[in-house]
Amino acid sequence: MPDVHDTIARATSALDALARAGEAVEDEWQYVTDLHAVWRARLVQVATARGTASVEPGVLEAVERASVEIEAIEDPHRAIDWLSTYPQIVLLALGETG
Amino acid sequence: MRFQDASRDARAVVYAGVQADPTVARAAQLLAAATTGQRLLARAAMNGQSDDPAAWRVMFPTLFGPRAEAAESERSEAVLTAALDVAGRGEHARSLYRGAIVEALTERLLAQRVQPAAVHRERRILFDGVRSEIHPYDVTVELPDRAEAYDCKWGARGINAEVLLQLDLARRNAELEGARLVTALVVFDSRRSCRVRLARQTPTPGVRLVALESLDALAGGRPGVPGALAGADPGRPS
Repeated sequence: MPDVHDTIARATSALDALARAGEAVEDEWQYVTDLHAVWRARLVQVATARGTASVEPGVLEAVERASVEIEAIEDPHRAIDWLSTYPQIVLLALGETG
Repeated sequence: MRFQDASRDARAVVYAGVQADPTVARAAQLLAAATTGQRLLARAAMNGQSDDPAAWRVMFPTLFGPRAEAAESERSEAVLTAALDVAGRGEHARSLYRGAIVEALTERLLAQRVQPAAVHRERRILFDGVRSEIHPYDVTVELPDRAEAYDCKWGARGINAEVLLQLDLARRNAELEGARLVTALVVFDSRRSCRVRLARQTPTPGVRLVALESLDALAGGRPGVPGALAGADPGRPS
């Protein structure tokens, strides 16, 4: 059964790709870098705290679906919007606060 | 300190059309009663990606899953429908609608705390002996003994030095006149993201932050009591 660690690993991989897309907006490079670092740390914090706890299929499916959505983003401005939103979707699905 | 309607240029006239669209009022009405999770759903769907409601239901199992209460599920559906309506309007229109929705939501929440007639939109604030700024504040609360001025942003990315400076200047000018003016940024984005943005701005400790998680603070508190925006954050991350 998948656990929180697996779920967060999927999420951080998608988040990393999103940050790379957002970095194309040169004026916002610093913001994108900061935002990525802060949200990534929050996700890793959850993985560290709950790592081997199992997750329900619905949660795994939610994170996978959201990850697929954001991996399709090409517009860097939209990527920046999602850089803040996507980790919150993951955290909400896992029953965590932002 | 006195208030004045902002003059309308061509852009303002176009934007007024967006503000008056029933879609905006409907979304604001739903979001005023929404949970933080439902507001996050609205933000995500209005960011634009899938136009398939089923995809969003999968992404938000706590709102649409079997454990969600029927009444809350119904509201989540309504929020999703409204958000997808906005998302489907194309990149430029979506941006205008999102901003208008945050403003309308702010107005609606404030009107739960003070008399609705005291809540105004698009107002300039004038001070004796101070060159008036062209910049209008998105939403104001104008009471005989005190006032509040809000700038509204869809995302933390909208926070910038100019916006913070305008709010802080108004607050300081009011203070010089011995008037009470609370200034705040309302951002339809997470507190964490706002703090990231604010961390690299010049500190403006007098400007409050109302983030997605603390929107209900706009409606709470008691008029006339200092700290009526309990739950809002100071403008500088701690």
